[in-house]
Amino acid sequence: MKTKKGFKLRTICGENIIVAEGVENIDFSRIISMNESAAYLWKNIQGADFDADMLTKLLLEEYDIDEATARQDATQLIAKWQEAGIIA
Amino acid sequence: MSQDHCQIKTVQMPNEVFLPFVIEQLNNGHTATLPLRGRSMRPFLEDGRDKALLQLCDYPKVGDAVLAEISKGHFVLHRIICIDGNQVTLRGDGNLSDEYCLLSDIKAKAVGFYRKNRKKIDRTDGLKWRLYSWWWTHLYPLRRYLLFIIYPHIPQRFK
Repeated sequence: MKTKKGFKLRTICGENIIVAEGVENIDFSRIISMNESAAYLWKNIQGADFDADMLTKLLLEEYDIDEATARQDATQLIAKWQEAGIIA
Repeated sequence: MSQDHCQIKTVQMPNEVFLPFVIEQLNNGHTATLPLRGRSMRPFLEDGRDKALLQLCDYPKVGDAVLAEISKGHFVLHRIICIDGNQVTLRGDGNLSDEYCLLSDIKAKAVGFYRKNRKKIDRTDGLKWRLYSWWWTHLYPLRRYLLFIIYPHIPQRFK
């Protein structure tokens, strides 16, 4: 899967938020924000074809966690991103 | 790593950082829906409840509710009550006093409001807003009393 085009990660006041550049109206009352690790992954998969394995590998490179936890987080995150409609 | 990557949470950011970002998005051709804070646009708009739909404002006019930077980093969404050349006078519907800025300080205008958690917008060119605006601005001499009737507040020292 890939990140959808036009969803740009911006950091405002320490919050990592996704700005949908493709839509006409930006609803600031319901905006997607990411925690530090999700934002780290998002930055690293821009334009690339990614899967849970790749996210797991990226998490293991950056954080001191075991593989099972990383894989579980990666799988959950992909599900959340799909739910939010920012990957396809 | 947190397990909640996409949980719903409310984030409050300082206006002086957040609103320039919103204005940047407006300049990029977007419109913006913004939750409203503060009581200065009462009685139509309520703190924390309502939202405004903003767009860039090329030709501000008297009666418009606009987002203006009245001093460095200090933004308000108030109604224009007078434009004299380059000088603009603003007044929040829930306020008794005026604010002043220049035309260039007006960053955006409200084209409508989502009130009381409704999905339907009350547009500022719609009958409801125009009727409310006419009455509320014409009742300004009585505003102090009307506000007191609607939002009775007796200061602690008089209790």
